[in-house]
Amino acid sequence: MIEMKDVSKVYENGAMALDHVNVHIDRGEFVFIVGASGAGKSTFIRMLFREVLPSEGSLIVNGQDVVNMERSDVPYLRRGLGVIFQDYRLLPDKTVTENVAFAMQVIEAPRRKIQHSVNAVLDIVGLRDKYKCFPSQLSGGEQQRVAIARAIVNHPALVIADEPTGNLDPETSWDIMDIFKRINADGTTIVMATHDKGIVDAMKRRVIAIEDGHIVRDEAQGVYGYEN
Amino acid sequence: MKISTGEYIIRETMISLKRNSWMSFASIGTVAVSLFVLGMFLILVLNMNRMVASLESQVEISVYVKDGVNDAGLRALEERITAMQGIRSVKFIDKEKAMERFRERLGDQQFLLDALGENNPLPNSFEVRVIQPDMVRTAAEAIMELPGVETAKYGQDVVEHLFDITRLVRLFGLALMFVLALATLFIISNTIRLTVFARRKEVAIMKYVGATDWFIRWPFLLEGVVLGCFGGIVAALVLRGAYRVIAAKIYDTLAFFPLIPENPFLHYVTAAILLCGMFIGALGSTISLKKFLNA
Repeated sequence: MIEMKDVSKVYENGAMALDHVNVHIDRGEFVFIVGASGAGKSTFIRMLFREVLPSEGSLIVNGQDVVNMERSDVPYLRRGLGVIFQDYRLLPDKTVTENVAFAMQVIEAPRRKIQHSVNAVLDIVGLRDKYKCFPSQLSGGEQQRVAIARAIVNHPALVIADEPTGNLDPETSWDIMDIFKRINADGTTIVMATHDKGIVDAMKRRVIAIEDGHIVRDEAQGVYGYEN
Repeated sequence: MKISTGEYIIRETMISLKRNSWMSFASIGTVAVSLFVLGMFLILVLNMNRMVASLESQVEISVYVKDGVNDAGLRALEERITAMQGIRSVKFIDKEKAMERFRERLGDQQFLLDALGENNPLPNSFEVRVIQPDMVRTAAEAIMELPGVETAKYGQDVVEHLFDITRLVRLFGLALMFVLALATLFIISNTIRLTVFARRKEVAIMKYVGATDWFIRWPFLLEGVVLGCFGGIVAALVLRGAYRVIAAKIYDTLAFFPLIPENPFLHYVTAAILLCGMFIGALGSTISLKKFLNA
């Protein structure tokens, strides 16, 4: 699913965010990316949906060559991915249904299919009864569930989550993790950057730890390994 | 493009125009003013061209023949002038005809000519017209060389001044229209920049979920076209009214002034202004979107 070879990223200001990183992630895996702020986690995550381009090395995501891709092909790469952020990034003047449907309108899906798929994913995240609400009427956890619904409505092979529980209390975080577990159980690959020691330690999934742009640890059933 | 996408684009355009209704209103107004001035100069330059063309077509060479050239000589001279390159027409004016015209021109003061008695001091002459006005000088010089010709005149100073002035007006008009078009472009692209900025989160999300650049671009492009079009409609309506009023005034007082008739001229001007407005609108939004899409 993800094949990263000798990838480095040097930003324009000279900062080296990643230094010759090699990672292989298989289809269906659930991977945590951990590390201190500024270690290169965010760069790693943002490269996967080509918001950041590697300075050198090769990167294949979902069978597509991210480095040598035409700019006009980027939307098609992203259609195979679902992206979730810490700050949800919902549209405030659209309802729950409209926010989720937006991801399908944008790729010009037929209207009947949109309605059907949106209802189905709202069931998955447990927000069917709040479909008419606006984001401001929802709690943080509910907003994040809308964002997850939007991310998976097009059935992506890979879900990329950047600190999805960063703004949520522990209990709500676990609700979100339960949803991720279910999505992963259906065969969707999940790559999640996080600071949440409790979650990482309890989930016992693969953990990749990044420090100063290097991968310092890659364990199949790892733990967070840092003191929060 | 799918029908549902078309609907989406139109709906988004409407929402954006409504959400920024004051901004939209202001930019339609400014665009209208710019396009109005643009159209005014277009009309001015076109009318000027027509006036010049009509004046140019009236430029003629008066060829005065020496006294003593007989009928055969006159006929030979006429043939030789007619055979020259670039000559459209040659008309012979004999002494008597010339005197008759002179009398007419004097009007009330014809008595002055009584002093001449039976003497007619006016020469035989030809009125020569050329095909292209810029050939006048060479033609006149060539005619001067012909035997029996006293002199050939074409109002050198007036004609050359006229050419200078029209060149200047055309150049100035074009330059001004260009500057105004740029100003209009700037106004529209600024308005669209504001609406894009207001919706930058939406644009970012669209990019994350895999919208193509064109899908993102369309509503903004349409918004620019609508702004340009509305501005153009306002400008065209005002221009049409103004042209009718001014044309009527000019016909009343300066009947000889060769103004371009309203129909179908005003339709062409309207079409030109609308197209110009829409094109500038599209271009303006493309420019302001470029940065956001590349980000």
